[in-house]
Amino acid sequence: MSFLTSVIGGIRSLFRKKQVERDMDEELRAYIDAAAQEKMRSGMTHEQALRAARMEMGSTEAVKEEIRGAGWESTIETLWQDLRYGIRQLRRNPGFTTVAVLTLALGIGANTAIFSMIDAIMLKSLPVDDPSRLVVLRWAAHKEPHHSGNSSFGDCKPGDDNNPSGCSLPYPFFETIRSQKDAFSGATAFAGPARWVMTGDGLARMADGELVSGDYFSTLGVRAALGRILMPGDDTPASPPVTVLSYAYWQAAFAGSPTVLGRSVLLNDVPFTIVGVADPGFTHLSPGKSQDLFLTLSMKPRLDGRWGSDNDTWTYNEWWLVVIARLKPGVSREKAQAAATLAFRNTMLHGEKPRSKEADDPRILLLPAQQGLTGQRGFYAQPLYILMCAVGLVLLIACANVGGLLLARATARQKEMAIRLAVGGGRLRIIRQLLTESVALSVAGGALGVVFAYWGVRVMTGPLVLGRTDSPFPFEIRPDWRALTFTISISVLTGLIFGLAPALRSTRLSLTPALKNDGSLLSGGAASARCRWRLDRALVVVQVGLSMIVLVGAGLMVRTLQNLRSVPAGFDTHNLLLFGIDPTLQKYKGSEIQTLYRSTQEQISALPGVISASYSSDTLLSGGLWTSDLHIEGQPEKTNQEVDMLATGPEFVKTLRIPVLEGRAFTSADFDVAAQAAALREAAEHRPSAAWPSTAPKVPAPASPTVPVMVNAAFVHRYFANENPLGKVLTQGDSNSASGGSFGSAPNIRRWAIVGVVGDTKYDDLRREIKPGVYIPLATGGAYFEVRTATNPSSLVPQVRNIANRLDSNLPLFGVRTQTDAIENLMTQERVIARLSTFFGLLALVLACMGLYGLLSYEVARRTREIGIRISLGAERGDVTRLIIARGMRLTALGLVLGAAAGLGLTRLLASLLFNVKPADPPTYAVVVLLLAGVAFLASYLPAWRAAKVDPMVALRYE
Amino acid sequence: MNPRATELVQGTLDMLILKTLQLEPRHGYGIAQRIEQISKGVFRVNPGSLFPAFRRLERQGWIKAEWHPTENHRRAKYYKLTERGRAQLKTETAEWTRQLAAITRIMEAS
Repeated sequence: MSFLTSVIGGIRSLFRKKQVERDMDEELRAYIDAAAQEKMRSGMTHEQALRAARMEMGSTEAVKEEIRGAGWESTIETLWQDLRYGIRQLRRNPGFTTVAVLTLALGIGANTAIFSMIDAIMLKSLPVDDPSRLVVLRWAAHKEPHHSGNSSFGDCKPGDDNNPSGCSLPYPFFETIRSQKDAFSGATAFAGPARWVMTGDGLARMADGELVSGDYFSTLGVRAALGRILMPGDDTPASPPVTVLSYAYWQAAFAGSPTVLGRSVLLNDVPFTIVGVADPGFTHLSPGKSQDLFLTLSMKPRLDGRWGSDNDTWTYNEWWLVVIARLKPGVSREKAQAAATLAFRNTMLHGEKPRSKEADDPRILLLPAQQGLTGQRGFYAQPLYILMCAVGLVLLIACANVGGLLLARATARQKEMAIRLAVGGGRLRIIRQLLTESVALSVAGGALGVVFAYWGVRVMTGPLVLGRTDSPFPFEIRPDWRALTFTISISVLTGLIFGLAPALRSTRLSLTPALKNDGSLLSGGAASARCRWRLDRALVVVQVGLSMIVLVGAGLMVRTLQNLRSVPAGFDTHNLLLFGIDPTLQKYKGSEIQTLYRSTQEQISALPGVISASYSSDTLLSGGLWTSDLHIEGQPEKTNQEVDMLATGPEFVKTLRIPVLEGRAFTSADFDVAAQAAALREAAEHRPSAAWPSTAPKVPAPASPTVPVMVNAAFVHRYFANENPLGKVLTQGDSNSASGGSFGSAPNIRRWAIVGVVGDTKYDDLRREIKPGVYIPLATGGAYFEVRTATNPSSLVPQVRNIANRLDSNLPLFGVRTQTDAIENLMTQERVIARLSTFFGLLALVLACMGLYGLLSYEVARRTREIGIRISLGAERGDVTRLIIARGMRLTALGLVLGAAAGLGLTRLLASLLFNVKPADPPTYAVVVLLLAGVAFLASYLPAWRAAKVDPMVALRYE
Repeated sequence: MNPRATELVQGTLDMLILKTLQLEPRHGYGIAQRIEQISKGVFRVNPGSLFPAFRRLERQGWIKAEWHPTENHRRAKYYKLTERGRAQLKTETAEWTRQLAAITRIMEAS
């Protein structure tokens, strides 16, 4: 209550200052009057009495000052005064102020932007209820348990060959976990997303759908923004097909219209009813993975096997689900883990069909979902941490720079301080005023830094940097207030420390020499000047050293990017347009697919400006990779070699301009054989499958014809170095073929014979070395088209879309881009780091050289008189120039040596990102040293030139 | 003017001001005079500490100021005790009595 009165009283006197002052005057006058009256009563004359009363009171101004000091508002008032004075001072030196504020703002902005991204990608908790109780199940064993299929969708970190582990689990085990009510209060499983074609609502488009168990939303604690969430009742074989949209997809595809509820859409020609939209806060579970819609697991059989054979979906044979469980309150993670491991061991070792040995020690690890679900985090983690280091160094340089500026300025203001002290300014008051000034500077820097941070995040997530051209950046990022607070605190602290040191020193000076402005010549002043010099120089050396580190890092990344760009791809990457279609989603079968591809190929090839067109199971240098285990003739019996595989259409090598070295390329007869073999296999696989869940036994496929294939030069070099490879036979090993790439359901042909050898090409990316590879004729599955054009390939996109639309308007094109774009996309990481670190490196360079320039300019100004004496005593002007430049270069050299030493240690962290360049790359170091030395020379030359122009007559009179 | 006038006992000014206002509102000079009179000239308060004390007490909400004409038909600022001020005076009086008794006991102990 009294606190409130005090606050109100204070505020009133702040805002009604005149009124309060008038009251005060009148009150004091009334006091003197009363006192005078009293004295007159004891016999004094009016004048005498008034005089005596005034003398008793003393100075009215002093009394008034004391009254003012009794309320808290006076502190604010002095602060306001200091601030106004400080701002006036800063405005009087616009150069100094601009440089300092910009420096701080860049440092603060860059750090906040990068930290905000790290926070959003690496640290932000899952957008679900109580994420700390959520665990993800991960199996581990010394040897992978036996099963027939394993698919994962990048939710977790993959295991390695020596210690197999993974997050994909079979459906029955999910049910086991769900029934462990003692340990878990809930569990859910999901898989995907897979791409579906959505039709029945205007244009056909692709939608990424996640298959989830019926209790997905309830286990996570995610509510519906509209309609309802999926429920266990939706997850039975008899349930009507329903789907829930993600909020973002609802906004993007349906413009947020509430009428979507109850609307029917076709997913791969299967009708689904939209029953709800998920909460807008639920953006992802695994970082960076987004879904457009959610379907229940039991819809999988209706959507036509997108995950291989349907027969094993509900058995221990197919491992495909990520299982997330919520720990029951009061149950520790260790206890729940023991329970889950027990159940897992039981089924693996003693189930209907044992899948593991005792010695393999199969077990379940429960990881907190936040850490366990890595998603795309890994892709961004490294560049972000490296950039964090770079901007951290820039912030240090910025702080050192501003510190140097403040120091130099304080020395320049020694005279002002001395005058203020001499006329009776309190020391504390002056220190407070100086501090207010430097804090004002830091705050201004911080405010501008906020603007830079917003802008930085926008640029970083835009298509030029981390975002990709074909899909938006998968994380939502806003500047992080904690990071901003942290960086602004650092800069304010810098302001305080580097403001306080000179403030303390300059208020302690002996007045006379300071007023005479040659403090350095006298004892007290000399000591403090030397001390200031040491700090000043150290700051410049540190700046040069730090910027050397940042520049070396940037240089190494630029070299890496150059090296990657100059890697020969093995084919002509220019003027090549790529796009994908997947007719299997529209229930195209065997020969229909062939016909569709052929007509597409023919019609596109006939377009003016198109040289030729072909298609393949994947485009080269786009990140996709398909490898398979084959037995190669001539190798020991029962051994398999892992080789790269690519299924291609006719004229593929011609379109990509891959040279045929031996034998021949595919003819259309080859594709007939391949189609025949594929038809046989398809017939075997699509025997009427039993009802859900099915345990029907597998039927062996009849023998298929031998299909012609081509191999690359690396294949011949490895396996047929001294033989004629043509006619050699390759056979598929067992059914455990690894499959990756864009289309997992690759044609599973059994026998191949080599008919041609072609030149080596890079496959999934530029870093991977060329491996033995096999080209097979594409007979089934989705495909990417490659169109060789005579001119700019992008200009042909409308015509190509037209053709596809005419052939089947329900068949959306995806991944439309040029080969050059695809390659650039592969180098996103390297490009981002190279560009940003170059930017920060140059920033560091500019800052450091500004620091050096400032230091030397100040020194020249301070020594004008000394220089004048030297010149008048006969020193050559060249000597003077050399003197100053030598001083600058000595500091630079010291900084370079320190920077190089630190750089050699630090750049080793970059090693895994570098390509064909060592962390201690001598040319990079040489270029950086030359660059820094060159700019430092310029920065020293200007003040040196000014020193040489000193007129001895003027200098000697200089005061 | 009493030549033996001394400064107040440290920290008692606020309490003394409150006490002088217990019976009726007074203006600044009235308060100073009252303290001097009652203490028989032992204590004298100078304006330099009196007025800041008013400001302090006002902010605490213990006294309230009003402008009134004086006996010589001038305007003066009269201070009056608020309810909270009265309560505060009671507490401070009790505390002062307790301390005084304690000090007396110490000083009289042999």
